Amino acid sequence: MSFIEVKNVSKTFKISKRRSGVPGMLANLFVPKFEKKEAVKNIGFNIEKGEMVGFIGPNGAGKSTTIKMLSGILYPDSGEINVGGYIPYKQRKSYVGRIGVVFGQKSQLQWDLPVIDSFELMKAIYSVPDDVYKKNLSRFTEMLDMSGFIEQPVRQLSLGQKMRADIVAALIHSPEIVFFDEPTIGVDVVGKETIRSFIRELNEQDNVTMIFTTHDMQDIEKTCKRLIIIDEGSKVYDGTLSGIREKYGTSRQLDVEFGCMEDISSIDKVDIIELENNKKRFVFESRDVHINELMNHLLSNYSVRDINISEPEIESIIRRIYNKEVVEA
Amino acid sequence: MKDVLHLIGMYTKTTAKSWFQYRVDAVLKSLAVFLREATGIIVIWFTLLKFDDLNGWNIYEMLFLFSLLFLTYGIMIIFFTGLRDFGSTVRSGNFDRFILRPRGLLFQIIFVNSDWFAALGHGGLGITLFLISAGKVGIRWNMYNAVYYIFTVAGGVLIQGAVFLFLATLNIYLLQTNSLKGLIYWNMRKFAGYPISIFHKAIQFFMIYVMPFAFVNYFPAQYLLRKDDMSDYPEIFMYLTPAVGIVMYLIAYLFWRFSIRFYKSSGN
Ligand SMILES: Nc1ncnc2c1ncn2[C@@H]1O[C@H](COP(=O)(O)OP(=O)(O)OP(=O)(O)O)[C@@H](O)[C@H]1O
Ligand SMILES: [Mg+2]
Repeated sequence: MSFIEVKNVSKTFKISKRRSGVPGMLANLFVPKFEKKEAVKNIGFNIEKGEMVGFIGPNGAGKSTTIKMLSGILYPDSGEINVGGYIPYKQRKSYVGRIGVVFGQKSQLQWDLPVIDSFELMKAIYSVPDDVYKKNLSRFTEMLDMSGFIEQPVRQLSLGQKMRADIVAALIHSPEIVFFDEPTIGVDVVGKETIRSFIRELNEQDNVTMIFTTHDMQDIEKTCKRLIIIDEGSKVYDGTLSGIREKYGTSRQLDVEFGCMEDISSIDKVDIIELENNKKRFVFESRDVHINELMNHLLSNYSVRDINISEPEIESIIRRIYNKEVVEA
Repeated sequence: MKDVLHLIGMYTKTTAKSWFQYRVDAVLKSLAVFLREATGIIVIWFTLLKFDDLNGWNIYEMLFLFSLLFLTYGIMIIFFTGLRDFGSTVRSGNFDRFILRPRGLLFQIIFVNSDWFAALGHGGLGITLFLISAGKVGIRWNMYNAVYYIFTVAGGVLIQGAVFLFLATLNIYLLQTNSLKGLIYWNMRKFAGYPISIFHKAIQFFMIYVMPFAFVNYFPAQYLLRKDDMSDYPEIFMYLTPAVGIVMYLIAYLFWRFSIRFYKSSGN
């Protein structure tokens, strides 16, 4: 039994088509019209205690919906979810004290009040003991470099400062599982780096289990070993970050700088792209073309000054998965 | 229990602190609510000066009717602001946060926020009207009718709270219920300032059995004032306000418990 188990979970939203005016309103009440949207389709995965999993997919893929089901906000239509022995949407009150949720799009801080007041409120809501509260507060503010603005009203904070404060608010009760839904949205490079290293440290030192959604691949590359990709509500990849290259990243590119202008005759199954200054790029699938043979062919027939082989970036593979340009190798 | 009281204290402190961020604003807003409602009453006052009485009710007796309406609303809104605003809480996604906290949902809705502007505006007007009218309507105050008054105010608070809870629950099914609230709550409330006996039977029926404002002020006022038009209604109605409040609230609460599992969050 894994720590987090998700089995064949689906969720369809009924979006009501609204009519206006008093007659329309009554009609809405008694004969509602619906349009269906399958947000999550038959998703399943297991996560072990202490794992940190990146959860990505294009806009509308169903990431937030999945997080909401995992955290007990939404009932799944079908399938089963078990997190640390709890069924989130059925045992809400005892369950939610053990999790923390950060919605990057939706702050939970008290807008008009100093940051610290929101933390004090969290302390009361979660009945956090004094010593635990003090310890967490000083540790988190130190790690996230927050001492400069903790007394300031939330409305005066920058996006990045607010996000850090929101993260602390979600963690002040020492949850053993944390769901991050876009915790770096709108944050600058330095801020992102602070948040990433905080998340990493919490995972390594406190063995907190985490799921992390984002649109920034750097976030994933710098924090998670494991990646789940969903698209249009279905899971399309679940494995290590490097595994994604093996599975999808089978194309290679060879950038070659020639000694002079060479006119290269076409090569079977290789795309040749002209670059500037006598440079050309050769793109091919590694299963179709043997790299040694291609290099031999070039070296023996043309004057080559420099040669450089590269794998596609994870980011570009992901982009191609979203665009449905790649199939499994 | 201590823990819960502490939390309620923290919620109240938080609301009050945000409130005092805009101190002048706060006073002005309460005053604005007070004046807006009071203007309505003054207009009615001048209209009624043309009549000696309305079905046997003189102007002070009618102010007494009004005072119950405003007082109960003022108290009710301290506790049920969260239900009044529940539609926007759901639409903005803030309700998701309530679900994520290890506390009762209705508990959070009730204690997280209180609209003190409305409470002071309406409640203040209720008390003002009570002070103006109570001495002039011939009530001989004693222990019994003071206790009756307290229970009846509590009942009136619960009746309106139940309606707010019911309308809030409808938000789980339809993301917009403001127009419905306008239709059945605020429109009916306009009638509730007058003795219901002056209205058409259909409206009376509505005020007694559907949106029972009659139990918020008319029947309680009858107990204290004993006007002739009470003979149109069963005597027992004068004693039912607390029971009507409790029953309505229970029904609304069960409807809420049943409905909450259909909550579907909001998209981004
Ligand atoms: N409460 C809701 N009611 C109706 N439809 C919804 C609701 N929440 C989400 N949806 C729809 O379900 C689909 C999945 O949405 P979801 O928010 O899970 O996507 P996401 O992967 O988080 O996207 P993003 O990257 O934009 O945050 C979308 O088509 C969205 O419009
Ligand atoms: Mg999302």
